[in-house]
Amino acid sequence: MIIKKWLLLFLCLICMAPACNLSVLPTDALNTENVAGTPDGLPNVMNGCYALLKNNVMFNGFIDPGQNYLWQYYQFSDYAGDDIVCGQVTEHPLFYSFTYTHSPDQSNIRFFWYISYKIINGANTVIELGEKIPNPSGAVKQLIGEAYFLRAFLHFNLLRVFARPYTQAPYGPGIILRRTTTDDAVAPRASVKDSYNFVVEDLKKAASLMDQPRGSQYASKEAALGYLSRIYLYMNDADNAIASANAVINSGRFKLESAEGFKTYFQKAIASSESIFLIAQRKVDSRGKEGSVASMVYSDGNSGWGEEFASPSIRKVMSEHPEDVRWSYILPLKDPATGVVAKKNGIEIYYITKFSFQDGDPNLSSPVMLRLAEVYLNRAEAYAIKGNVAGALADVDEIRKHRGLEGALYNGQVPRNKSLQETVLQERRIELAFEGHRTFDVYRNKLNMVRDYWGYHLPGLQETDVNLAVPPTGYANITINWNDPKTIFYIPVDEILANSACKQNP
Amino acid sequence: MKMSFKSIHVFLSLLVCLLCGAFVSHAQVLIKGKVSGTDGQGIPGVSIAVKGQSTGVISGANGTYSITAGSTQDTLLFRMMGYLPVSRVTGNHTEINVKLMAALTDINEVVVMGYDDKKRTEITSAVSVLSGKRLKDVTANDVGTMLQGKVAGVQVVNSSGAPGSVPDIRIRGIASLSAPKGPLVVVDGIIGGNYDPGDVAAVTVLKDAGATGMYGSQANGGVIIITTKKGKPGAPRFDFKATLGRRTPNDGHLNMMSGNGFFNASKELYRDTLSGKIDILKFYNERPRELADRNFNWVDNAFHSALVQNYYLSASGKTDKFTYYLGGSYYNEAGTFKNTGFQRVNLRTNTTYEFSKRVSVSNNINISASTGKTYDYMDLFYTYLSVPWDNPYDDTGSPRYVDANTKGWWSRDKINPLHTLANSDHSTKDFNINYDFIGNIKLTDWLTFTSSNRVGVGTNKSHSFFSPLVAGSYHGKGLLDESSSLYYSGISTNLFKFSFSKGRHAISGLAGAEFQGSWDELLGGQGKGLPVGFDVPAVISSEQQLRGVRNHSVMQSLISQVNYNYAEKYYLTASYRVDGTSAFPPTHRYAQFPAIGVSWLASNETFLKGNPWLNLLKLRATYGITGMQDIGAYKYLGLFSLSAQYNSQAAAIPDQLPNQNLTWEKTHQRNLGLDLGLWNRVTLNVDVYSNVTKDLLLQVSQPLSVGFESRWENVGQLRNKGLEITLSTVNVKTKNFQWTMDVTFGMNKNELAGIGKPVYQTINGITQIYRDGGELYTFNIPRWLGVDPATGRPLWEQVTRDNAGNIIKRSPTSDYGQAESQETGHALPRFQGGFGTSVSWKGISLSASFAYSQGAQIMNFIRRFMDVDGHEPYYNQMQPKSDWSRWTKPGDIATHPSMQKAALSTEISSRYQEDGSFIKLRNVSLSYDVPMHIVQRLHLQGLRLALSGDNLYTWTKFWGQDPEVTVNRADFSMPGVADFRYPANRQYLGTVEINF
Repeated sequence: MIIKKWLLLFLCLICMAPACNLSVLPTDALNTENVAGTPDGLPNVMNGCYALLKNNVMFNGFIDPGQNYLWQYYQFSDYAGDDIVCGQVTEHPLFYSFTYTHSPDQSNIRFFWYISYKIINGANTVIELGEKIPNPSGAVKQLIGEAYFLRAFLHFNLLRVFARPYTQAPYGPGIILRRTTTDDAVAPRASVKDSYNFVVEDLKKAASLMDQPRGSQYASKEAALGYLSRIYLYMNDADNAIASANAVINSGRFKLESAEGFKTYFQKAIASSESIFLIAQRKVDSRGKEGSVASMVYSDGNSGWGEEFASPSIRKVMSEHPEDVRWSYILPLKDPATGVVAKKNGIEIYYITKFSFQDGDPNLSSPVMLRLAEVYLNRAEAYAIKGNVAGALADVDEIRKHRGLEGALYNGQVPRNKSLQETVLQERRIELAFEGHRTFDVYRNKLNMVRDYWGYHLPGLQETDVNLAVPPTGYANITINWNDPKTIFYIPVDEILANSACKQNP
Repeated sequence: MKMSFKSIHVFLSLLVCLLCGAFVSHAQVLIKGKVSGTDGQGIPGVSIAVKGQSTGVISGANGTYSITAGSTQDTLLFRMMGYLPVSRVTGNHTEINVKLMAALTDINEVVVMGYDDKKRTEITSAVSVLSGKRLKDVTANDVGTMLQGKVAGVQVVNSSGAPGSVPDIRIRGIASLSAPKGPLVVVDGIIGGNYDPGDVAAVTVLKDAGATGMYGSQANGGVIIITTKKGKPGAPRFDFKATLGRRTPNDGHLNMMSGNGFFNASKELYRDTLSGKIDILKFYNERPRELADRNFNWVDNAFHSALVQNYYLSASGKTDKFTYYLGGSYYNEAGTFKNTGFQRVNLRTNTTYEFSKRVSVSNNINISASTGKTYDYMDLFYTYLSVPWDNPYDDTGSPRYVDANTKGWWSRDKINPLHTLANSDHSTKDFNINYDFIGNIKLTDWLTFTSSNRVGVGTNKSHSFFSPLVAGSYHGKGLLDESSSLYYSGISTNLFKFSFSKGRHAISGLAGAEFQGSWDELLGGQGKGLPVGFDVPAVISSEQQLRGVRNHSVMQSLISQVNYNYAEKYYLTASYRVDGTSAFPPTHRYAQFPAIGVSWLASNETFLKGNPWLNLLKLRATYGITGMQDIGAYKYLGLFSLSAQYNSQAAAIPDQLPNQNLTWEKTHQRNLGLDLGLWNRVTLNVDVYSNVTKDLLLQVSQPLSVGFESRWENVGQLRNKGLEITLSTVNVKTKNFQWTMDVTFGMNKNELAGIGKPVYQTINGITQIYRDGGELYTFNIPRWLGVDPATGRPLWEQVTRDNAGNIIKRSPTSDYGQAESQETGHALPRFQGGFGTSVSWKGISLSASFAYSQGAQIMNFIRRFMDVDGHEPYYNQMQPKSDWSRWTKPGDIATHPSMQKAALSTEISSRYQEDGSFIKLRNVSLSYDVPMHIVQRLHLQGLRLALSGDNLYTWTKFWGQDPEVTVNRADFSMPGVADFRYPANRQYLGTVEINF
């Protein structure tokens, strides 16, 4: 009898155990299989793609506030150029852009590569799930088009950073193309030419799908066409560049800021009719000192590191026209009493303010990826390739009219000491300074990068060596030849190790 | 039916005994006496029994007893845990006073093993027990610190001296790559739980699978079993202990330069590369002479000596049916760094009520509340690096506001950390209740049912605040970030425990089921736009952000164990556990964890028994499997995380690749052990082990071009092999004088296998490689070759390979870009342990304990900022080691390159990698037990006074802060990397202990 009682008790206990449910689901994530199963799934994932262009995310085990796409986007372009001078040695890998001492394991390129492909994965998810929807609405087609656009945008930016320019080596190694979420993980780099063609096809597809513009914060038909005009230019395809630019300019959706308006354009880029595509940031997205684009190039004393400045080179190019409103974005730090420009480690401080003052916040901006002025300049450069002096200079003058240089128009006359290409490129340099163009514009045109001014791009420079009265001599790095292998970055070490098909850059 | 027959048989035997006892009761003799220790103090709670009879008594509060013996030929047995048993023939005595000697090796000691208790002789596994003085010489808020250097094979790393910080504990190396690597903590037999060190009676460390196999899937990192104090028979006993002392920051060999020192060191910046001379005119022009006289010591101003207090009061006792223990403690440590501190209040009641001889119920409640003020990394960073020429105070003595536009401020980033400290606050609060309900029903003499249950509820709050007054990012806006969590958990373990013996066979064991569940809910938010002087969420006016999530995990298990011994000579233990967890996909949720252990107690063999010099000889062997599942929830699912927004709309980002085959990681453990006791003076324990963790839960690297860093997979193996030795000796032992020594030694070597492609992890530019055949935490960085005597440039090793990848040449290069990353050493010690000695004369005792560690490599990362060849002219520099030298002219054999030719000299390389070996004087204490006659005159039971010093000195070549560097992989932290750290504490304490 007693035994039976225990057995009963024992059985009860055993039976009790398997009754609990071991299936537990997260409360703050979509299960990949069900993305399309929730009403907001697709727009959520599409928004996630845009969000990753600005957010810091976990990489290598932690979230580094200094790792975000936007900031690095400018590190790999303008920091390696002649518009920005380095005012301080730093342990941060952004320093290697100045010094051209890249390595495959520097954290910024590793993150940039990773986050680019992560967004591509998100875009591919939208494309794959969206294209399964029968009879898609205009809104769904718009989403799919935006996904194609972002996929192209990211592949194109990877190409600029990691592959030699199309004009230099079209059959050299480009980048890894990710067409689906189920592509083999181990994959080789496509050639530069194939990569560019892939980007062009995506943009054409994107342009054909998008018909419901949602503002410059999102991709649109014209954003795709505008990018096409730039990419054809990078491919030296002047006719297509002109045709794409025409389509944007003639759409009538955009309008250049006036000279007065341009002085505050970058603070109110979201609202401006000059903006075609930008990465929208709201007040909550202000990344502060650690990760905002502005932080390295501007500080109000507290807001940023303020270690990199407008270079003597760009200031010299602009010095001809003090009335040029584009000076509004170069702000010397002056002693209020003496008016003398302050120095950091011997380098004069000329802050850059294109990434500051949205909502009055020194660290907040919605970085502009594409604006109408660039499309004019793309067309101008394409006309120049074709030798169309009048067309090229008309487009350049169109810009100058809106930048306070009505009194200094070319009126169809190439200046005596410059070529047409130089004239167009100089305008492009001044107009798009610090916006992630200059370095690529130099090298794709097979020009050398000359940085014959004092700055910490000069290896081993100490403050005590700086003598602003004379230009620096005898340092390596003053001139970087256009065919120097270091003009592009290494493929991140992680990719090389895990992807046996992927070849490293020399 | 067979069982019930046996039980009847046992019952009848007992009945016969009782009757016999009654029958012979005619010739009884009443004997009185007192049991005392060697110091003369009465010992309560000693069991006194007449040999061969079941009757027995327990000594009272002051050690007195009275017992009725049968005849003059009877033998009285005096037994007490922790003392050597004594037997006396009654003879014609009516008063027998006995002195008990503390046992060094009490083979009858009962060891708490978690699910059950075992006599030491029964144990087949590698198990260490620490209790009493040996545990509590060091005053700390956690048990981990108390274990350091005392248990062979247990590595305790105190990498931070921040108030309230707890050390990392690693048992037998590291068995897991991704899951938590610390041991499972079991409090009073139930997994998890909270306790105060003051309430701890003993700590058992289970090291091999023979013992930890019982904990199956949670025991990969070993098990630490905490036993809290229980009431003892006798009158109510009150214990009071007060500890008070001061602590100072201990920065080891790290000293920053003085104003004058930094001034002179800065001259090197002005050395002309051609002439080799310093351009002193230019120097004085740019660094005015008066700077040499400005000497502000930032470190001394941000740190100060701090007060430590710990008070503990308990009442305990046992009446006929009721055992009780009530303990309360208050711990308060002020931080040595400004604006930091920690305090904790803990209350515990442990009670047991015996309803009948068969049924007893224990209710244990622990309530703890703590509050702490922590620190911001950047404040530490700037404290060390600010230039001594800058004075942080204004004319009124308040910290000065400094920003990038401040003139005449030399330090690099134009921040005054003392101003930030005065205008910011980082604090935490924690409140936690555990309630344990343990029911014991003795179903028969051989079968007991035990139900152990715990519910825990806790809440935690953190508060991080920067006033709008601070310089930097938050200037003018301020920042407030608050978060709170609510967590609750339940665990229920229901076991049948049985025990029989027949003749020389004894068998015991248990079987049952366990259920564990935990839930947590997090809520947090932050915002800016704070009015000056306010720091609550209600005043936030801009950039509001909310966060919050709920998590849940479940685990269920079946548990069983059988112990068998023959003639108390041959022992066998076998256990089997099945665990199911919510962490894995439905098809892979359950896993089995068997373990077996055997031992031979040779000293109980007739040919050795009674041997005067050999007290104990035991050989042990175990094999078993433990596992790990604790990598966080949902790791097998493909996920898009809804953690973002774009343009104020919900955004989901690709977060995780799915793996529907993810399953348990299992460690196969083998252990061989020897226990030896000689002359009742020497005990030696030796264990060798070989543990292989298979199917490692690893985030396997993916090509980044798929958009994910990694995918959770079961891949590869991690092997740990080691040797552990514990030696305890009583060198001298007389009535009044005793001298003892303890030595522990642990050696561990680990090796990875089966991973395939190497995995690299990089933080702050420092890379560690995980590869087949490699050891954990191996640095993979360029090798530093010093300075080129001809040019003064830095040199690294360039490795030239042929087309097949074979190395054909190693040569020095001054081009950092040509230097190949290679393995330069690993962060785990080759061996480690501790030693201690104690001398006591009458009531005075003096003891010292040391911890040591040999063979770990440390990346002294802070040198990248404070030993930088002039790259950072506005960071203060560390005082150089005596054998460092700077290259100034061709031919110089120097350790440091010319400042003018030092391009990239501070880039990550083995330059800053140093030997982290050390010997540390952990504790010295002097105590005095006031003699009984004085104590009694004060109407007390005991009075003890002690002075102690902790962390007094470290012998090491490591040129930085404390060589105890984190072994933890976390945000911004990599094993073996010495970043800026809250310095370790050196503390001096006085203690008064009163029993009444």
